[in-house]
Amino acid sequence: MIMALYRLTGRLCRAVSQTRSLGTAAVEAEPPASGTRAIFRTVQQDPAHHSEQDLGQYYTLPPDHVCSVFPHGLPRHFQLQMKTFNETCVMVREPALELISHLKKADYSKPALRYLLYGVTGTGKTMTLCHALHYCSTQGWVVVHIPDAHLWVKNCKELIPSSYNSSRLDQPILASQWLKNFGITNKHFLSKIKTTKTYMWTKRESTEEGQPLGELLEKGLTRIKSSSDVMGALLRELRLQCSKPQDEGSGAFRLVVAVDGVNALWGRTTLRRENKNKVEPEELTVVQNLRKMLKNDWCGGAIITSLSQSGSLFTPRLAYLPHELLGKEGFDSLDPFIPVPVPGYSEKEFESCYQYYIDRKWLQHSQSHTEEGKKELIFLSNRNPAVFEKLCAAL
Amino acid sequence: MAAAAMCSVVMSLSRINQRLGVLTLNPVHKGAAYSKGVSVRGRRGGPPSSRPRREAGPPRWEKMTPDQDWTAVYPTAAAFKPSAVPLPIRMGYPVERGVPPAKEGNLELIKIPNFLHLTPAAIKKHCEALRLFCTEWPSALDSDAHCEEHFPIQLESRDYVFAGPSLRNPQARVVTLRVKLSSLNLDDHARKKMIKLVGERYCKKSDTLTLTADRCPLRKQNKDYAFYLLTVLYHESWKTEAWEQEKTVEDMEEYSWEDSPSQRNVLDTLLRMRTLGDSADAAVDTDSVRKELLASSEVQEYAASVSRLKNEGESESSVLQYREAVKKVLRL
Repeated sequence: MIMALYRLTGRLCRAVSQTRSLGTAAVEAEPPASGTRAIFRTVQQDPAHHSEQDLGQYYTLPPDHVCSVFPHGLPRHFQLQMKTFNETCVMVREPALELISHLKKADYSKPALRYLLYGVTGTGKTMTLCHALHYCSTQGWVVVHIPDAHLWVKNCKELIPSSYNSSRLDQPILASQWLKNFGITNKHFLSKIKTTKTYMWTKRESTEEGQPLGELLEKGLTRIKSSSDVMGALLRELRLQCSKPQDEGSGAFRLVVAVDGVNALWGRTTLRRENKNKVEPEELTVVQNLRKMLKNDWCGGAIITSLSQSGSLFTPRLAYLPHELLGKEGFDSLDPFIPVPVPGYSEKEFESCYQYYIDRKWLQHSQSHTEEGKKELIFLSNRNPAVFEKLCAAL
Repeated sequence: MAAAAMCSVVMSLSRINQRLGVLTLNPVHKGAAYSKGVSVRGRRGGPPSSRPRREAGPPRWEKMTPDQDWTAVYPTAAAFKPSAVPLPIRMGYPVERGVPPAKEGNLELIKIPNFLHLTPAAIKKHCEALRLFCTEWPSALDSDAHCEEHFPIQLESRDYVFAGPSLRNPQARVVTLRVKLSSLNLDDHARKKMIKLVGERYCKKSDTLTLTADRCPLRKQNKDYAFYLLTVLYHESWKTEAWEQEKTVEDMEEYSWEDSPSQRNVLDTLLRMRTLGDSADAAVDTDSVRKELLASSEVQEYAASVSRLKNEGESESSVLQYREAVKKVLRL
């Protein structure tokens, strides 16, 4: 009944301002004749045009975008949700809008700005990151996305000594997987960008100067042993060419480096060498290369990172503030950065999420549709998105 | 207790007398006396006395008024008497998932020590009684600040009363010396060194150094030892050894922004932003630009926020302050 009332008000009045209270907040900017639309969905499917009017509303990502931009990026729970609901809906929230507005306003001739998303576990940092990445890819940027840096410092079966620097260790399988995903995401850039240096992989193999990046990628995928070095070379190329001012030939492009779980790069690892010595993050090639990317000595792009306690090693469970999770070294390396707090759902956002689940017929329990049930859900989850999702999965 | 023992002896004697009396008074009715004796002894469950048992009256607390003299009810330390304490106290493990048991017949309340004999009214009476033996408090020391100023060192020792074969208590030899470091004449280096030397004995919040001496057998000796320790600490912290030059960043007590990686990063970033912005003028004097940048208010604000973050630990408000400072510095 309440839903019908909302739709009625939506049909009758257009573009209700956002400052109205929760009960009547129905922001729709579409003509009334396009049929019933739920209040929690927004018309605006392009992240570039999302504004405060769309706060708390879901927008759908087209499936081909999902496959190309996020071959490995989305969190596991969200992927399951995607499969169940048969659509990819992301909520437009404040931190994402703030990030996107910064990205729009930033001056790309200056050194890259670093943003750090932080918040309690489960408030949506990874989803915010993905939203921002979607924006970047629609704008035609090169996307370097590391979905979870924690996976690089734990549970790695294959560690081989690096050929480039004998004190370092390579992770060939990880690196080759990442290269594959990078290729899927940035297909159209592979032919445009050319290498600037000759790289010698082994005594017999090398990549000449002026070859497109696609070749480099191929080399990495076929010769798995040197895939970590290929990754390093790729990142170096991107960094150098992005900083160059608008050139003929290579074309100016913008680079976004997105790292989730960035506190893994400065923490401790659980990896050990064959002689049972502990491995520090500095001794891993992939980590070294990534740290170089995160320094702001290049320009023409942005660095968006997010902290993650849930995958991190040797950190207390309740820690979520930047300095706690990054440690002294990490903080000093990332300084100065712009911390972006990601809070739990506000009332409006919670309402939106609740309506979405009801619409998708996810909440089957009879009591969950009542006011009492909603109050119970709010109390149990404390408006934390992850907890709410887990609760609803059981209903 | 002796009185009670006497009582029972008297009672038993009187009982014996009664029986004897019964027997002697009525020698003719031997059978009757015997039968009476049988009837007396044969009474079911009752105590062997001819006096009927007195019914217990209402408990004492029912007759108590709110403005009674409590020091008369509990003049000395005594066990908990449920009939004499007018409070509805419950104590113990809940009975069958209900409430804790009531105070009547509650062993838990009797076992624990109580301070019912030391209420404020009782303490007042004690003070009045002790006043006879006290001298006047000096009129010049009318506030805590004055006391601190004239008597910065506070000595604490305990006396124990023990009623046993020996009156002495070995715990009475412990002496605690408390002094505020602000009342000692220490400069910056001496203060930091002193804090490092004493370690756990210093409380940062109240700026108090607490030295506890218990290694000597007599109190006087411990007191002298505590003063000796204080003297030695003071003089040692004023000295600077040769190896103190090797103090590293990790040893520093506080985070100082100058020469920190944060300062270097921010200056590098700003310099690069400037050089990229005005790439026309080739001759950029980096030193003067650095000085200018350092002096600007945004960088100062940024330095303050980073120092706050590192020194006071993190909190939501300090991270937000850092955020605002970074935005201003990078001119977003």
